[in-house]
Amino acid sequence: MITTDELQINIGPQHPSTHGVFRMLLTVDGETVVHLEPVFGYLHRNHEQLAEVNTYLQNMPYTDRLDYFNSMANNHAYALAVEKLAGIEVPERAEYIRVLMVELTRILNHAGALGFMINDMGAWQTPLAFGIREREKILDLFELVSGARMMCNYFRFGGVVRDIPDEFIPRMKKLMIAMPAYMDELERLLRENEILLARSEGIGILPREVAVSYGVTGPVLRGSGIAYDIRKAEPYSIYDRFDFDVPVGSVGDVYDRFLVRIEEMRQSRRILEQIIEQLPDASGGHINPKARQNVRPPVGDAYARVESPKGELGFYLVSDGGTKPYRYKVRAPSFINLTPLGDMCRGYKVADIVVILGSIDIVMGEVDR
Amino acid sequence: MSNDTLTHSVTFTEAPAALTVVVDPTPQIARGSAVIVERRRPKAAGWSLLQGLGVVVDHWRKSFRKLDDPTQIAGTFTTEYPEERLPLPEAYRNMPILLFDDATGHELCTSCFQCQRICPPQVIHMTQAKDPETGKPVPAVSEFIIEYDACMSCGFCAEVCPFDAIKMDHDFELSTANHPSLTVHKAGLLRPVSYYQSIAPTFWAEAEASAYKKLEANKKRRPASIGIAPQMIEQVKAAHELRDDQQEADSPPAPVAIAPALDAGRAATPATASAAPAASDGDLPTDKAARLAAIRARNEAKKAAEQAAPAQAQPAAEGAATALTTPDAPLTDALPAASERTAPPAPATPDAPLDEKAARLAAIRARNAAKKAAQAEEE
Ligand code: SF4
Ligand code: SF4
Repeated sequence: MITTDELQINIGPQHPSTHGVFRMLLTVDGETVVHLEPVFGYLHRNHEQLAEVNTYLQNMPYTDRLDYFNSMANNHAYALAVEKLAGIEVPERAEYIRVLMVELTRILNHAGALGFMINDMGAWQTPLAFGIREREKILDLFELVSGARMMCNYFRFGGVVRDIPDEFIPRMKKLMIAMPAYMDELERLLRENEILLARSEGIGILPREVAVSYGVTGPVLRGSGIAYDIRKAEPYSIYDRFDFDVPVGSVGDVYDRFLVRIEEMRQSRRILEQIIEQLPDASGGHINPKARQNVRPPVGDAYARVESPKGELGFYLVSDGGTKPYRYKVRAPSFINLTPLGDMCRGYKVADIVVILGSIDIVMGEVDR
Repeated sequence: MSNDTLTHSVTFTEAPAALTVVVDPTPQIARGSAVIVERRRPKAAGWSLLQGLGVVVDHWRKSFRKLDDPTQIAGTFTTEYPEERLPLPEAYRNMPILLFDDATGHELCTSCFQCQRICPPQVIHMTQAKDPETGKPVPAVSEFIIEYDACMSCGFCAEVCPFDAIKMDHDFELSTANHPSLTVHKAGLLRPVSYYQSIAPTFWAEAEASAYKKLEANKKRRPASIGIAPQMIEQVKAAHELRDDQQEADSPPAPVAIAPALDAGRAATPATASAAPAASDGDLPTDKAARLAAIRARNEAKKAAEQAAPAQAQPAAEGAATALTTPDAPLTDALPAASERTAPPAPATPDAPLDEKAARLAAIRARNAAKKAAQAEEE
């Protein structure tokens, strides 16, 4: 009888498809993964400690750099936390602008994430290029309003830094026409593609109980069949005013996560349509004129969370009454969604683990902070 | 190793058994429902591959034409940088710059340290200027350093500056092999106001009035030679001499007419050559026409406000060119902006400045629209 040995190998910290500086310590039995241990921390840059020596406002541009795909969503979560702590009101129009930006962010994130995931499967560049193309158009809109494509730094306490310019809505309306075309195209290209099915169906199954026990959120959790979306479960901002559905998967494999993301893009577009309709009637300006930017919140703590495109993004702030947070903690969805990677990969082939990793959609800037 | 390790061998690689996870018909969701995404199977083997290939072929076919309709997704929309450039939105921010007044060379910065305090990575450093005689600090900077290499382009400095002295530049081609050159000192940071006006007309129009009002107040608190942009010192000196000569020649003391001297200086500052509103930019006729319209509109408003000095508005409305070419023109109003400042304080009706501002904004919008239309025509 032939005896075989298990072998320990490292993938990373700089494997091209690991989406950043990330290491996976694999124990393999032939091609089969017996054990996988995600190792992170290579991108640690002292984000949370740094935030404690900065004033509240100074932290805003640093939150852009957490999940650099979704700076608007990060800004939103942080602004909500500070507003909760300091008791700042946000005018209605500002809320609409905020949600508009965040939903655009969700579309661009999913377009990019699906592209990268399929890239990991070996569909080299074509689907990714389609995704990047759509993302690019949204980034142009962000540049128009905030001055930067990715590091938007657009939110302020009590609103946003400046109102959207006149040409924004017409340009966005044009983009709204293009969006379904892109989503249909992506589905025609890939939804029933045999190769994609072979690489994703039944791969990386995360059963619902496991997902819940790890605290997984976002499309990964919904892919596992749990309709938990913070926009519905605990509506923040003005999300209770919009009609939209929560897509869930039935199996919890890579394919479900893929489908859930496509559907989420469609739902985000639905929200955007409602925003365009309601925005002209919204009262107030783009920022609460009474809100001070150099806040000095009363002693206390606050936790605010949003449904970022990757999952529950939360900021926990403790104030000692000064101008700087006494404690600043980020609940990063990428980080928590990455922890069950070992469970998701156990039993699959080495070639599957990059696909599974891609389907979680992580950004190392957020994982390591 | 022993055979024990083999007991790890895997049970659920054959996934189908696990495919039957049950979904619980999900909770109550307000204004929407939980929808289970449909897992489709291809209709026939190979069908979906062909379908996908169709998408790719369609894109390939359309890639031969240029796409400028954003509602479409197929086509080439590449911009051939650096030959072609996308227009940058006004809000675009890259690195901060300091502004100085075109007409007098005065820096707008008063060394209030607000920007230094707010800068998150702490890359702004400055020294306040001192009166050479009394040694007392005056509202001007003697040195101002920004470490461009560590600036995160957050734009906070421009947001907090109460004097509109620091603004975000649009120039993004800063790469260099000479790293120390990215620690930029005051002379390298200073740009004339007209340059900023050219890259962000509406933003500047909103800030202009208060910025100049504050500058006037601060100039009074600065000794003569302090707070002048280094690149302007020569021109300012020449202009002062010119003025002195004039004063000797004819007695009525005229406000400083340094614009002619500045014109030369502007040509020497490369960044501003195209930017200065008064400089000859014949390449943009619509632009110029719109600007003239703006000046006219403003002068109308001014005329309504002050009947006393009708003669003064006229030369300015004629356009800057005349004022520039005649060195001894009285009361030079070479720059549209300057004309406003040197005008005697008008005992205006309270809503006149508002009208004026509205008119200016309207003119700027008209100009932008004209520019866009011109661009569209070119294409
Ligand atoms: S843009 Fe931000 S980082 Fe750069 S100098 Fe200004 S405040 Fe500092
Ligand atoms: S640039 Fe503005 S904020 Fe900074 S010191 Fe000068 S006047 Fe103050």
